[in-house]
Amino acid sequence: MKITGKENKQWSRLGSRATYGQAILMLAEKLENLMVLSADLGNSSGLDRFKALYPDKFLNIGIAEQNMIGVAAGLAKEGSIVFASSFAPFITMRAAEQVRMNMGYMDLNIKTVAIGSGVSMSFLGNSHFGLEDAAIMRSIPNMTVVSPADCAEIVKTVFAAAEYPHPMYIRLTGAVGFPVVYEDDYDFQIGKAVEIRSGTDVSIVATGSMVYQSLEAAKILQEEGISVSVLNMHTIKPIDTKALNLLISKGKTIFTIEEHSITGGLGSAVAEHISSIPNSPTLYRIGLPDEFVITAEYHYILEKYGLLGAQIAISIKEKLNLK
Amino acid sequence: MTNKEKYDQVFIDSFSVTADQLNEGLVYQSVQQWDSIGHMGMVAALEDAFDIMLETDDIIDFGSYLKGIDILAKYEVVV
Repeated sequence: MKITGKENKQWSRLGSRATYGQAILMLAEKLENLMVLSADLGNSSGLDRFKALYPDKFLNIGIAEQNMIGVAAGLAKEGSIVFASSFAPFITMRAAEQVRMNMGYMDLNIKTVAIGSGVSMSFLGNSHFGLEDAAIMRSIPNMTVVSPADCAEIVKTVFAAAEYPHPMYIRLTGAVGFPVVYEDDYDFQIGKAVEIRSGTDVSIVATGSMVYQSLEAAKILQEEGISVSVLNMHTIKPIDTKALNLLISKGKTIFTIEEHSITGGLGSAVAEHISSIPNSPTLYRIGLPDEFVITAEYHYILEKYGLLGAQIAISIKEKLNLK
Repeated sequence: MTNKEKYDQVFIDSFSVTADQLNEGLVYQSVQQWDSIGHMGMVAALEDAFDIMLETDDIIDFGSYLKGIDILAKYEVVV
């Protein structure tokens, strides 16, 4: 799936949820055995056009996420490639047992898509936030966890997921006006991180919406003479150990940045890997605190918890004792 | 290409309409393609065509082909 900057700008305007719906619409043109399920969030998932054009390929299961995973499992057993979407906590907590058994244990070809993960559901609050979802999902055997960096990467993830014959959790962060990271097409492979910016003084490993904010931080720090590399770790599990080993070999301080609790997400995955490597560099984890967070407008929440580019730059300088 | 031609082309490309549909009858949801998804695609296409960035309130107010001409005037784009 090739993308252009013009397309990505249009998808950025739509935001992550509607872009997922657009990606599914494009995928349906190429995939005969596609089935798309929703837990009463078809419109919120940008699936209006898909529903109208492919009514036989869409099932609204209702607000019954456990049942949605069960139905998805049955369809997958019969050979369908199934995408099932809902909000992050409803998939990862309400339906945790079904996800663990039907997706993990049975290793079925189901893709669950968490629309509005992180804090992007803003005024709907903690009941709808995905603060711990990556932690839960990456602890389930056979599960792959992907968090796209922008809308183009959402489209690429959906297309790659359709060809990936194992269960996957796709975690959509960002909101309407999801900033563009990729102006041009690039090579996207599940499990392979992408170095977006090279640097020699500090290494950032970021995922989801924090890739853009990390790039903003890197630009600010560059103006102050600090050279920062940014690695887009879109696949949180299996984590790209080869890319991490390369960073570790450089010996520079590593920062992980994520729109997720600092407990159990990307930062933890990176820590688990480097803890077994002698003399590895210091790792700092930046993310949402290990607490329930405020309910507010999306950008305000990011600012509150220091997750905007300028704030990340300050945090990095503080840790490096450069401020 | 004049601003009018560029403006019309965005509607033709975004909503699969013909030139004779570009009138007061072309309003939000009057054609199948002008739904919420199509609307944001049209906004992005206009921003590209005229090198502007529409405010959120203007995106919401942009409910018709004719209304859009008034809104673009705020951005010094005379159609």
